[in-house]
Amino acid sequence: MTEKILSEKNRVVRHSRLELIEHWAIAISGLILLATGIFELPVAKRYYIITVPGLGWTADFITSLYLHYAAALVFTAAGIFHLVYHGARGETGLLPQKGDMKASVTVIKSLFGFGQEPPMHKYLPEQRLAYAGMAWIIILLVVSGLIKTYKNLYAPDLSLAVVLTATWIHNICFVLFFLAFLAHMAAILLRPNWPMVRGIFTGKVRLDYARHRHALWIADLEKNTKSVDP
Amino acid sequence: MDAKNMSEITRRSFLRISAGAAALTGIHLPKTARAEEAGSLSTLIDLSLCDGCTDRAMPACIQACRSINANKIPPVAEHIPEPWPRKTIEDWSKKQDVTNRLTPYNYLYVHRAEITVDGERQTLFVPRRCMHCDNPACATICPFSANHKNQNGAVVINPNQCFGGAKCRDVCPWEIPQRQSGVGIYLHVLPDFMGNGVMYKCDLCNDRLKEGKKPGCIEACPRGAMRIGPKKEIEAQAQARAGKIHGHIYGQKENGGTATLYVSPVSFELLNQTMTRKPGQPDMKPGVERRMAGTDPLGKAVLASPVLGLALAGAAGWFSRRRDRKTRQEEDHD
Repeated sequence: MTEKILSEKNRVVRHSRLELIEHWAIAISGLILLATGIFELPVAKRYYIITVPGLGWTADFITSLYLHYAAALVFTAAGIFHLVYHGARGETGLLPQKGDMKASVTVIKSLFGFGQEPPMHKYLPEQRLAYAGMAWIIILLVVSGLIKTYKNLYAPDLSLAVVLTATWIHNICFVLFFLAFLAHMAAILLRPNWPMVRGIFTGKVRLDYARHRHALWIADLEKNTKSVDP
Repeated sequence: MDAKNMSEITRRSFLRISAGAAALTGIHLPKTARAEEAGSLSTLIDLSLCDGCTDRAMPACIQACRSINANKIPPVAEHIPEPWPRKTIEDWSKKQDVTNRLTPYNYLYVHRAEITVDGERQTLFVPRRCMHCDNPACATICPFSANHKNQNGAVVINPNQCFGGAKCRDVCPWEIPQRQSGVGIYLHVLPDFMGNGVMYKCDLCNDRLKEGKKPGCIEACPRGAMRIGPKKEIEAQAQARAGKIHGHIYGQKENGGTATLYVSPVSFELLNQTMTRKPGQPDMKPGVERRMAGTDPLGKAVLASPVLGLALAGAAGWFSRRRDRKTRQEEDHD
């Protein structure tokens, strides 16, 4: 098990190296996909983006397509890896649980000074809901993107109904992905979430923070540690 | 879940994954784009037969084309919204009579080429319109799929879905589609910030094809200089005709192959020299490449990326199971 309490350093390991690689592979490739997806629209010339030093290429749809494909390769492989690897290992901590909606409202209210947060597991209830939402968006983006890529390569005369469905799913999910990304960034701006930011860079968060905010998780970790002690 | 059960489940799961990965790698993908193969039509334009209808006020092909497409563009908005921030408006509604170039109201024009070959002066007439490419970037990367390659070979823009961003014109090696501002769906969305009209071009008279008729230009040609038929037959006819007149073919390889084959008694290098590329007046550069072809290898890698993800998950699963087993053994030992 990767999760481990490091009492002497006041740290607890929250993410394994593999999970950090997954997160950043999806995040960086996702951002490149967002940017090059925007540049696949005729906006670069119209909005004078091409006049920004270093962005002259943005009006060239084929150059954007090279980058979009390269990022899609990483994004799709990382997404499939994530689903299959963690699914097969039965790691379901990020999946929504019963009562998450209600608990999310309580947590969000507490972030703005109304009421108190309930004791929480490794992931917050709204994180689990956001994860499920993002997972569906990514699945739809990947499937529709693969259909569009197949059409580009092998079947430009693919059924118009299939092409239109894939195109509009891709376009709508592109907007949702962008909104989800903004929401993800907005969550980081909230002060109580700051200690978690360190975790997504180093894999570790402060133990005192985790004891305070993720009491159920730390209790589980301590129970497991004791159970394997001789 | 106890460690032993988890280990068994993961082992079983990873076996399934490996089998799935192996099966997926066996997926057969076609070697060529489907539009290059069955069911699609092609056209032949024989420049040795076209005389430009010099005895008429307007070439018959242009006249037929304009007549068929006369009411295609709805009335243009009285005040065309000024796009922001680049204020480009393309309004041809008051220049609908223009026939010497491609416009939203004119999908076909005839280029007159004066050429001297072996000291002999020749005049050739080259009808120009959309080439209906086999794998047209204008259609495949239209952000709204408003432009589509039909199975009969026709590349057709749906004016009800087009926002007039002119991406199709930018990626077309001949810059064929032409924009009319002040019409289309963009007027009902965010006309100042998004879209700028509708793109128009030859659609190979797709509606007529569906009714079993020939495209208007082909039907109207008094010299029989244009033909339409199954792709393979037209290719064979073009080869035969080029062989007979010791001529040259354009459109078979250009932009990755097209559904329009020109047969000319003089080389297209020479013909191209008579053409100055201007808006609405494309040149005929021989061997023009399909730029998207460069992205195909990466596209194929994208299609294979789910298999890559599965394989990596299988490998990582194997390593993590081994690590878990070792840890358990060490704990048991202690």
